[in-house]
Amino acid sequence: MNSYKKHALKLSREYTQANFAWVLSFVVCLIFLVNSFNYKEGTIKSFVFTIFLVYAIFTMYQLFLTWKIKKDLLKFGDIQPITRKLGYIQLLSILSANIFTASFAFNLIKKKKTPEYTFAVFMVFTQLFVIAVSTFNLFKPYVTDTFLPAMGVLVGILIFQIVTLILVSKYVQDESAPSWFLIITIVLIITSLTGNLFNLLLGISLVLKTRSHDRSRIMKWNTMWNKITRNSTAILGMFFIILMLSLSVCSKYTFDYDMAVENDYGSLLQKPSLEHPFGTDDFGRDLFSRIIFGARISLLVGFASTIIPLIIGGFLGAIAGYYTKRADNIIMRLLDILYAIPGILLAIAIIAAFGANTMNLILALSVGAIPSYARTMRANVLMVSNYEYVDSARALGSSDLSIIFKQIVPNSLAPMIVKATLTIGGAVIATSSLSFLGLGVEPHIPEWGNILKVGSTYLESHSYLAIIPGLAIIGLVLSFNFLGDGLRDAFDPRMD
Amino acid sequence: MKKSLLAILFTFVLILAGCVNTKSDVADKGNDNKDVKTDNSPVAIELLGMSTGEADMNIVRDQLIKNGFDVKLNIQPDYGSFTAQKDAGNYDLALSSWTTVTGNPDYAVRSLFKSDGDNSIMADEEVDKLIDQASTETKEDFTKTYKKLEQHLVFDKAYIAPLYNSFKAQGVNKEILNVDTVRLAKSRASAWESIDFADTSKRATQPLIMQQAIGVLTSLDPIKGNDGSINTLNTNMYVRLVNLTDDDKVVSDGSLSLNHAIAEGNQSYYFLLRDDINFAAVTNEKAVDTGERVGADDVVFSLNRAKDEKSVPDHRTYSLHESMEEIEVVTDLTELDVKQSGSDVTVKEALEEGLDAKITELVEDKNTADNKAGKYQVVKITTVNPFPQVLNYLAHQSAGIVSKKQVESINTYDVETFDVNTDIPYGDQNTVTEGAKYNNTLYASGPYILSHKNDYEAVFLKNPAYMTGTENEAKISNVAVRFIQDPDSALSALRNGEIHIFNGVPETKYDLVEGDSKLTLQKSDSNAVSYLLFNTENREVSDSEDLRKAILYSINQDEILNYYQGNKNKAVSTVSPLVDTGNELVADPAKVKEFLEAYNANK
Repeated sequence: MNSYKKHALKLSREYTQANFAWVLSFVVCLIFLVNSFNYKEGTIKSFVFTIFLVYAIFTMYQLFLTWKIKKDLLKFGDIQPITRKLGYIQLLSILSANIFTASFAFNLIKKKKTPEYTFAVFMVFTQLFVIAVSTFNLFKPYVTDTFLPAMGVLVGILIFQIVTLILVSKYVQDESAPSWFLIITIVLIITSLTGNLFNLLLGISLVLKTRSHDRSRIMKWNTMWNKITRNSTAILGMFFIILMLSLSVCSKYTFDYDMAVENDYGSLLQKPSLEHPFGTDDFGRDLFSRIIFGARISLLVGFASTIIPLIIGGFLGAIAGYYTKRADNIIMRLLDILYAIPGILLAIAIIAAFGANTMNLILALSVGAIPSYARTMRANVLMVSNYEYVDSARALGSSDLSIIFKQIVPNSLAPMIVKATLTIGGAVIATSSLSFLGLGVEPHIPEWGNILKVGSTYLESHSYLAIIPGLAIIGLVLSFNFLGDGLRDAFDPRMD
Repeated sequence: MKKSLLAILFTFVLILAGCVNTKSDVADKGNDNKDVKTDNSPVAIELLGMSTGEADMNIVRDQLIKNGFDVKLNIQPDYGSFTAQKDAGNYDLALSSWTTVTGNPDYAVRSLFKSDGDNSIMADEEVDKLIDQASTETKEDFTKTYKKLEQHLVFDKAYIAPLYNSFKAQGVNKEILNVDTVRLAKSRASAWESIDFADTSKRATQPLIMQQAIGVLTSLDPIKGNDGSINTLNTNMYVRLVNLTDDDKVVSDGSLSLNHAIAEGNQSYYFLLRDDINFAAVTNEKAVDTGERVGADDVVFSLNRAKDEKSVPDHRTYSLHESMEEIEVVTDLTELDVKQSGSDVTVKEALEEGLDAKITELVEDKNTADNKAGKYQVVKITTVNPFPQVLNYLAHQSAGIVSKKQVESINTYDVETFDVNTDIPYGDQNTVTEGAKYNNTLYASGPYILSHKNDYEAVFLKNPAYMTGTENEAKISNVAVRFIQDPDSALSALRNGEIHIFNGVPETKYDLVEGDSKLTLQKSDSNAVSYLLFNTENREVSDSEDLRKAILYSINQDEILNYYQGNKNKAVSTVSPLVDTGNELVADPAKVKEFLEAYNANK
């Protein structure tokens, strides 16, 4: 009996997540504590110290919850309803933007979690963060003309999302959802235009459950997303990526681009304040706005320079893998030549020859990545084309093209998607590196590498100018890597 | 109840929304000049510069955009590609800078703006006339002429748009060096011979470590280069007839001449030479006294080859010395009895001032000169026109004195058929670079001589026969010049003690040096001016004066000074740091609008 309970402790998703949450929350806490002292003057910065206190309280409560869960599990073998009820208090931590404890709290209060529930929770989180970040603009001397209507729309969507969250947690089952969810679905898919892709995911998931009667398909969908949502790092990575995406879409209406590019000689190198949450750089530009607008280019270049080689490399690899011998030889040897050229050098050469702008940057980074995608695709195709269903399709007289694109490619896509997610991070770094070297976009355009370059010369006197863009790059790349890892685990049949 | 709550919430939100200032509200209130954009689409301007000038380019871009232009940046990574783009004409505005190393205003304008100048891309009769006129005038008169020149060059015709005049800043490690011995001159390159350690017992054992950005040396023959790679090095390797003080006065102190004088008419210049300098050479990485004295024949030889375009292939400095007509050794003592310019004393008396032994005899052969016995050598220089500023050019490193005997024995090739692959000229950097080609044939007349170099550093040794026993004798035996290109890396090197002196601390880093307890920051004015050069061919800006003026008045120097935390001065032209003309460029958006409208009307 005792070993069964110990086993329950080991298996419990909540317990792992609880530990994960308190550790990360504790780390953030420490960062605030270290920053709340002014070491030169020996005083306490009351503002930062208050934030530390708030975080400390929630971290303590998180520790308490973790202890309670452990006790429950060891005593009863599962988490008691009263412990789950206690999780409602921890929901408040969302007000302090503590995503770790808040997401845990949502996980704790619901015993049976569908993927839709997780999507809905993170959908609300994303929206809340977007609104909170945009609200900082109120401290500026003025806001952009579209700020108020845009914020109105965002808040409206938030209210709708909260309603959806409640409905989803009440009515959506593991295998089905009431048919009236279709209306919500339509609104969800439309509102995903704000860049909040959780809306879209939830929408698709709900469509699947309301419309489809194919139980195995629903099960497959559930298993895959369960694996991803169970992985705390993967879902947090996904959250950060979608938050950045959503911010870069919404910033068009809620942020003023001029603040990010126009020099203001009256406020050079100011320390972080409410008006300039990340301070200003050596040209008096608001670093906060620059980071927000910088996400746009990093994401655009990152995605585009991954999708282009994915399609070209995937196509070439599929052809090479299917038509073995001569076609394979010609294509792969040519790609081998391309493979032998160092990617970043090739990119530098292309930019030096054709000039620095976003389009050339995307092309330069894409070309070098084609061979590795082609190789992955070819290997998959070689494996898949020996399967029985391909043989039967061939026996039924299907054309080559139809076999390749209907049978083989869809079944070889999973590793490609994983590879793409894992290499997006590399592309983001490459973009920033090129900008840092002065080979990316023009220096005044907000791009994380550009911002870091300016910051690096002020590392000693105004370190925040380098630390913040650095953290942004690290955060985004790490998120892609975590998500990629999660996807790999989810697609890998051996992990079942 | 619910309804009323909703209504209250709604009004609350509305009131809140009313409190928020939107951008157009602010723009209306401030009567910003952004809403006065003309119907015409903004004029596109291409701004060319180097990546080192990125900050300046960004400020100019921002100022032009705020005044209704559209700016495209063309940023080149290094000077080579920058010049390539400039030569190809791919620019409307080129971010340029100029440093007047001779400390005289003529040099600040002649090669840049005169129709036949080395670096000129313009031709304007009025400008030529004013430059020539000013060159013959004395200080009292040329201020007015240069004021007129600036008015014409900048305000009337807008050939350039000035940005700022830089300071010179030098960080010195005060724990190692005696700061009082480290000079920071406005124009001249730094003099190493005066520098001393705080602990003088280390003079012979410890090297003085300097820094320089460029490690590829143009040439160690003084006339074959005039750039940052060799200016300081050649200045310390070759002695000159005169020197510049830290505030740009021409003096004989620490030079080959004991005294100098200008004869009436401002066309003849006399120099009384000293007898205590011998050439040094390097054998087995040791500096040795060659026993050959630096004398009048070397001066005549050096200056003649300096002014003769054909004396060496790739002569880079002859235009500085074109004003000299004749250089000769004076042997007739009576020739010195002419009156000195602007005074009643004779040239002879002027040359004798402060000497222990009066001039009793002038000798032709340098080896027979003996100052203690009254036997001197005198060199006379005659200029084509009366041109007092010739003295400034004689203080320039390109007028450094080389050994007649040594240079003639090395430069045996024929100038017309010179072949870089087979002929090795005097001062070729390969002869001092470590490796198979090493064959150091340098003869140095200055306080130091270059022993050898590699990509990392150049090593200099003290000339053992340079004014020994005087205050001008070099204090420290070894000098190493590290080649560190990036100013931020050089600053780190200074701070961690890797180098002792860093000349060129970036403006935004002054406080770092000042805040470091083991460093001292020396600051002084400099003659470096940054400006925007307008393209004069095949561009809108080359044809339209209105467009140029619109750009000129968009430049706000106050904002630039702000960016550099006040560590720059305003400038109107390249003569601004040398002559106080009283002109000032004031940004004026109203004028910009006016000139832009005039430009659009004439299009």
